[in-house]
Amino acid sequence: MGKKKQTLHHILNTESAAGVICTLPFTIGFLLFMIVPMGISLYYSFCDYNILTPPVFSGLKNFQKMIHEEVFWTSVKVTFKFAFISVPLRLVFALIVALLLFRSTKMTGIYRAMYYLPSMIGGSVAVAILWKRLFALDGVVNKIFMAFGMKEPISWLGNTKTAIWTLIILAVWQFGSSMLIFLSALKQIPVSLYEAAEIDGANKWQQFWKVTLPLLTSTIFFNLVMQMINGFLAFTQSQIITQGKPADSTLFYTVYMYQQSFQFGNTGYGAALAWVMLAIIALITWLLFATKKLWVYEGGF
Amino acid sequence: MKKRLLATLLCAAMAVTTLAGCGSDNSGASGNTADSGQTAQQSTDTGNGGQAAANASTEANLVFAWWGNQTRQERTEAAIDLYSQQNPGVTFDAQPAAWDDYWSKLATSAAGNSLPDLIQMDYSYLEQYVASGLLADLTPYVDNGTLDVSNVPKSLLEAGSVDGKLYAIAAGVNAPSLLYNKTLMTELGIEVPDNMTIAQFEDICKQVYEKKGIKTDLPYGASDNYLPYLARANDVTALFNKDEKKMNMSDSTPLVDYFQVYQDGAEQGWVIGTDIHAELQNNSVEQSPLVFYSSEASQAWCAFFWSNQMEAMQKVADEKGIEIGITTWPSKDPKKSNFLKPSQFFSVSRDAGANEEAAVKVVDFLTNSVDANNILLGERGVPASSVVADAISPLVSETTQEVTRFINDVVSPNCSAISPAIPDGANEVYDESNKLVDKVLNKEIDAKTAAQNLFDKGNEIMASK
Repeated sequence: MGKKKQTLHHILNTESAAGVICTLPFTIGFLLFMIVPMGISLYYSFCDYNILTPPVFSGLKNFQKMIHEEVFWTSVKVTFKFAFISVPLRLVFALIVALLLFRSTKMTGIYRAMYYLPSMIGGSVAVAILWKRLFALDGVVNKIFMAFGMKEPISWLGNTKTAIWTLIILAVWQFGSSMLIFLSALKQIPVSLYEAAEIDGANKWQQFWKVTLPLLTSTIFFNLVMQMINGFLAFTQSQIITQGKPADSTLFYTVYMYQQSFQFGNTGYGAALAWVMLAIIALITWLLFATKKLWVYEGGF
Repeated sequence: MKKRLLATLLCAAMAVTTLAGCGSDNSGASGNTADSGQTAQQSTDTGNGGQAAANASTEANLVFAWWGNQTRQERTEAAIDLYSQQNPGVTFDAQPAAWDDYWSKLATSAAGNSLPDLIQMDYSYLEQYVASGLLADLTPYVDNGTLDVSNVPKSLLEAGSVDGKLYAIAAGVNAPSLLYNKTLMTELGIEVPDNMTIAQFEDICKQVYEKKGIKTDLPYGASDNYLPYLARANDVTALFNKDEKKMNMSDSTPLVDYFQVYQDGAEQGWVIGTDIHAELQNNSVEQSPLVFYSSEASQAWCAFFWSNQMEAMQKVADEKGIEIGITTWPSKDPKKSNFLKPSQFFSVSRDAGANEEAAVKVVDFLTNSVDANNILLGERGVPASSVVADAISPLVSETTQEVTRFINDVVSPNCSAISPAIPDGANEVYDESNKLVDKVLNKEIDAKTAAQNLFDKGNEIMASK
């Protein structure tokens, strides 16, 4: 007993003990709620599984099914379109607002909070429903256009060409988190660089292109990677506002996955879809990293 | 040194509490399941629950899930509150949901072995759930008298049975019903006959549209209802052939009628289009264009629902001063198309475990208690127990009396047997059909092409199951 106590005492006193014990709740949570479910999902992806009855191993069938499924390719196209349009737009928007809010006045704090607000609530169901009402036939957007002389209200959500854009605008509107990161990066650029540029006769425009932007590239890169991943995983907006309609024109990959997994009872196929999505995101992220050395400045100031 | 040890211990204590926090839940749950397994075993082995059952019934927290409208939610919650009052110790966790979400939610809980104790079950899903072993066999409880079914007609008990075992008690009787704006039709002097053919129906649609600009709401996102209804008129009583893994027809002809109605509506302009539906929740009473609209262009004179939804619809319509009428869905052969169905069932889930007996008692309460049905008032359909139906008949609203009359006098004498429950894969085919309806409504394809596409795609989906 005494010896055991000694050892326990010993273990608790080693360098790493505090760290290990402190992170234990997270580590266990991560293993239980991330790694284990991922393992299960990987297994399901090779199974015929309809959620109600136990899974039956079926090899690569789910993955083969994907290739022949028209809707699968539609959802991939829609998701790429959404991510590749909304993310750059969001970043440009975030950067512009960050530059505007960079100068500190008394109101800056309030403005920053206000512009950040949409990204905190933007992914929520409540905002999605609000958005649906804004773009309704008798919604505010149509009312405004009609006040400026438009004759007939436009069915933004019912038209295959416009529906995806309501979702893209919603995504762009949630520029807050990128903006905050840009703001902190802007603050780190030494004033001396601008002073030197000014002495050399550069105007504000030239300063932005020659000093600000190059020094921001690493931040832009970080934002781009993070937002791309988010863009590919977008779900709430489409699920609440359009459910993939009209004619699958807003069928995000994740919504397709949800439908297959939980509505049509193709849960094994849904799991396979999830793993393909993981591969797509990994590939995109890798591609972004591969281009990094071409345009990202990582030197010091 | 000492300080560091103390800090470590504090952290450890924190970690342990956190873990215990989620751990205790887990162990509690698994303990329960283990218990329940035993209890269930005992009660089936001995034929009557005996002591274990008596213990289980004194204290229980029952999870009760159902789909439905606002009226149903209010009444059901009042009824289970009454049960809690009469049976101290029994509490409820009510989980109402909309039809679409309900089944995804239920399937997910089934996978997690955490089905609600009490489940409102639909005829079309019953077979799948029983085949997967998700529902408790109620036969032993009928035998030992816990569940009294002596006043429930045999046909309803059979509808809730699979292979001779009772899994579900019908909550009421239902029929497909076209609900329409009676106030408007009186004003326009248009008579809406029962057992309309599609031609008669379209004629009314045209008249209403020409006179008032008010449109018609054909079933939207609801191919699972109206598609089989019209196929029945073409002698296709089951759309799917589960054994041969294909659509149960030789070509796409029986499906054309369905899409033709939408094509006519789109061409003649009287149908509510995809643009308006894009903003509404499908199949919701509260958001039906019959009662939920901003102008004539988004208003409908009729909507395709079920007879037990008339009460809720009338309640919403009251706010607009509209009187709702009820008739059959149009079909070229109403007698073949029409059917009566148990509106829904109450089932006890496999996961009820130790609560099984307590849950069965609630099913008995909802089925046989006049007090409970004085609150529910036939909202789920004409009550299954004849004694209860008689007892509440003076109390029910005029609307419910109208529904009873409709079922007894209009549908019963002129209907055929209900179609078999749908197999796995059917919902995917119906979803495909909903997408094709969109295309027909937007005049991208015609009815014949849509039917052909659905036939091909349906065969493909069924083959993959």
